Amino acid sequence: MFNSLKEKLAQFTKKIAEVADKKSEAEVAAVKPTLVEKTKALFKGEIILDEKDLTPVFDDLETSLLESDVALPVIEEIVKSIKMQLVGKKIKRNENLPTYVQGVLKNAIQQVLISAKPEEILNRIKKRDPARPFVIMFVGINGTGKTVTIAKFAKFLQDHGIKSVMAASDTFRAGAIEQLEKHGKNLGIRVIKHEPGADPAAVAFDAIEHAKARKLDVVLIDTAGRMQTDVNLMEEMKKIHRVTKPDLVIFVGDSLTGHDMIMQSKEFNDATEIDGVILTKMDSDARGGSALSISYVIKKPILFLGIGQKYEDLIAFNQKWMANRLLGEANVAG
Amino acid sequence: MSLDKLGSSLRSALRKIIGAPLVDEVLVKEVVKDIQRALITSDVNVKLVMDLSKKIEKRALEEKLPAGLSKREHVIKIVYDELVKFVGEKPSELRISKDGFKIMMIGIEGSGKTTSIAKLARFFQRKGYKPVLICADVHRLGAYEQLQQLAAQLNVPFHGNLNSTDAVKIVEESLSKIEKKNLVIIDTAGRHKSETELMDEMKKLAEVAQLNEKLLTIDATIGQQAGVQAKAFHEAIGITGVVLTKLDGAAKGGGALSAVATTGVPIKFIGVGEKIDEFELFDPQSFISRLLGMGDLKALLEKAEELPKEIKEVDVTKFLAGKFTLQDLYSQFEAMQKMGPLKKILQMVPGFGLSAELPEDFYKLSEEKLKKFRVILDSMTDKELESPEIINRSRMQRIARGSGTKMEDIKELLKQYQIAKRLFKSLRKGRFPALDKALRQMGLKKFK
Ligand SMILES: Nc1nc2c(ncn2[C@@H]2O[C@H](COP(=O)(O)OP(=O)(O)OP(=O)(O)O)[C@@H](O)[C@H]2O)c(=O)[nH]1
Ligand SMILES: Nc1nc2c(ncn2[C@@H]2O[C@H](COP(=O)(O)OP(=O)(O)OP(=O)(O)O)[C@@H](O)[C@H]2O)c(=O)[nH]1
Ligand SMILES: [Mg+2]
Ligand SMILES: [Mg+2]
Repeated sequence: MFNSLKEKLAQFTKKIAEVADKKSEAEVAAVKPTLVEKTKALFKGEIILDEKDLTPVFDDLETSLLESDVALPVIEEIVKSIKMQLVGKKIKRNENLPTYVQGVLKNAIQQVLISAKPEEILNRIKKRDPARPFVIMFVGINGTGKTVTIAKFAKFLQDHGIKSVMAASDTFRAGAIEQLEKHGKNLGIRVIKHEPGADPAAVAFDAIEHAKARKLDVVLIDTAGRMQTDVNLMEEMKKIHRVTKPDLVIFVGDSLTGHDMIMQSKEFNDATEIDGVILTKMDSDARGGSALSISYVIKKPILFLGIGQKYEDLIAFNQKWMANRLLGEANVAG
Repeated sequence: MSLDKLGSSLRSALRKIIGAPLVDEVLVKEVVKDIQRALITSDVNVKLVMDLSKKIEKRALEEKLPAGLSKREHVIKIVYDELVKFVGEKPSELRISKDGFKIMMIGIEGSGKTTSIAKLARFFQRKGYKPVLICADVHRLGAYEQLQQLAAQLNVPFHGNLNSTDAVKIVEESLSKIEKKNLVIIDTAGRHKSETELMDEMKKLAEVAQLNEKLLTIDATIGQQAGVQAKAFHEAIGITGVVLTKLDGAAKGGGALSAVATTGVPIKFIGVGEKIDEFELFDPQSFISRLLGMGDLKALLEKAEELPKEIKEVDVTKFLAGKFTLQDLYSQFEAMQKMGPLKKILQMVPGFGLSAELPEDFYKLSEEKLKKFRVILDSMTDKELESPEIINRSRMQRIARGSGTKMEDIKELLKQYQIAKRLFKSLRKGRFPALDKALRQMGLKKFK
């Protein structure tokens, strides 16, 4: 029913929508090449790109990024800015447009993805104030791999002759203290613990005192997993941060994560400023687009990737490799 | 005055303005686009979303708009129907037998298996069953202690072997010690499809345990990998249900939809917190509301239920007619009587935000007032009906006398007429002063 009216009104709506579209295109139109310009360029063996040529290419790239778990708002922002750069630009006529655009996008992605060399962390640790240990706090939502990553990280430090102590500040989850203790035992690293349910900040504080007394270089604080939406637990985390004044806050994210990564990284960064990121479970076939989402949102470097459950399964992050992977290209380290 | 004529003159007028005839494709496309966006940002598989959108768009364009639903609501209803096909209409219960029942929990690392086992045990404990837990995770450090502590909290028996790295043997040995009629729940190590040794271990576990249920935990925060991972688990041992965890966070859990779409198994439970009691039966309706990012889905579905099946088709062509007379106004009033308030009608058509331009009174014409209008109109001459602007004070007095009404009534009728006429005139000229607002109200930009 109402078909006649519906149709009529729809026609009006469509017309208005068309006008509105044109309006939003106006921004781009400012740099839109004229026919004369286009023809001139053609004689020089060049094409001037306009929106129309670019849209289908970008549609494909957007889908590819979505399938890699890059969050939609992040994709849109990046694509929009590149599109603006490309419209009106001249490229050689024999250039393959999709390949060309993909190249530009890959560059842009690499610029968003920030990495920090593992040596930088080692240097910071070595150059610290000798009166105080270098304190690193690991945070993230439930089950991302914080505890295992801490063990891997402790092993990495150990391999570089750096001595650490681990603080069992997850006093909430069943078996969490035992889990860290067992890692400590395997690695020959001391774990400072209290009773289950104890104040996590107090545990971390004790670990720092322990490190001072024993002249250890680094304190690694394992915190409980928490949802970024849980106000009380986020407050608890802030308290640990206030008490321990960490030199480094590392956010541990699961590379399988989808769109939630935007909010996770933002909320954790707002609560206790994140200095670096480790993405786990990259061995799972995850494309890890959340790496791009995180970098885009909080603009902090990605330090390592977790690629398995063993201690040695922690590798340095490489932007180029990641950018290729995100665009669904051959999965080879570059 | 004939309706047909009005209709055709309108059509030609419109043709001049627009140039091409079309249906409300634009609107449908826009709404579908919004829904696409909602599903994608909820982590539903991209291809699945594309397939769904095509289906939805087709249905939305072809199906008749149910009475009382706006186009947007109709599209959402279709989306709901299509999504419910994956997750089922009703919560799917886990029926267990008192004569012995074995459940194994599997899933990716850190997805929430061990925690969910404790929750499941509590759930059935409440129903009078006697759960027994077995730890078959020999890989993750502290897994044994974790489940052991949870079992102690629940006060249920716990089996495992800290000194063994042979998960299959542990399960065999534990089962031999447990009475057959118990409800056994087995915890396994986390694994993903690329960890072939662990996938093989899982297959062996499933073989020796002779399971009734194989539940896959899916983390609500998982993205595009959910479907392929679930498929690998399903192909390996044939899962029978999904437990969707961590729904207490902000993630929408679209991954679970991809998982059920590829495996065809139902979601049975959801985890809504870390604590043992934070566990619920899966409810398709609230899950889909969440996916679409709409809290009002329930109300919408109820509305769709309640709607009368058929309302007589009313020709509303005159709304946009080139000439809008008092006679036309009356037929609109009558139509409104049949169809409910004008506001409703306008809400069902593109551009309904226009209704914001009309005073509230315009919608609320009482039965009584309509009757009054009828007699007033009956007392008018044809000339007055066709050209109401000629109605001056003396004509008004005459009409009032003839119809037994007051001058105010006639003034009111004429006022209504002026308002309507102005509105339709602006419509006709394609002027949409409130179009932006209207679009927004139609939910074309964003909906909550
Ligand atoms: N395959 C794989 N598994 C990993 C990786 N990192 C961690 N895991 C596994 O993920 C699971 C969870 O790891 P945990 O370290 O306990 O995670 P968590 O963040 O400390 O968890 P909560 O403290 O409960 O929040 C364990 O089974 C780990 O073995 C990785 O890079 N690859
Ligand atoms: N907020 C929240 N956290 C949950 C939920 N279910 C599980 N968790 C948490 O997620 C983390 C991982 O849970 P586990 O039960 O250890 O996960 P798992 O799948 O057994 O992990 P592995 O055995 O290492 O593969 C823990 O911190 C749990 O407390 C839930 O529904 N909501
Ligand atoms: Mg932990
Ligand atoms: Mg477990």
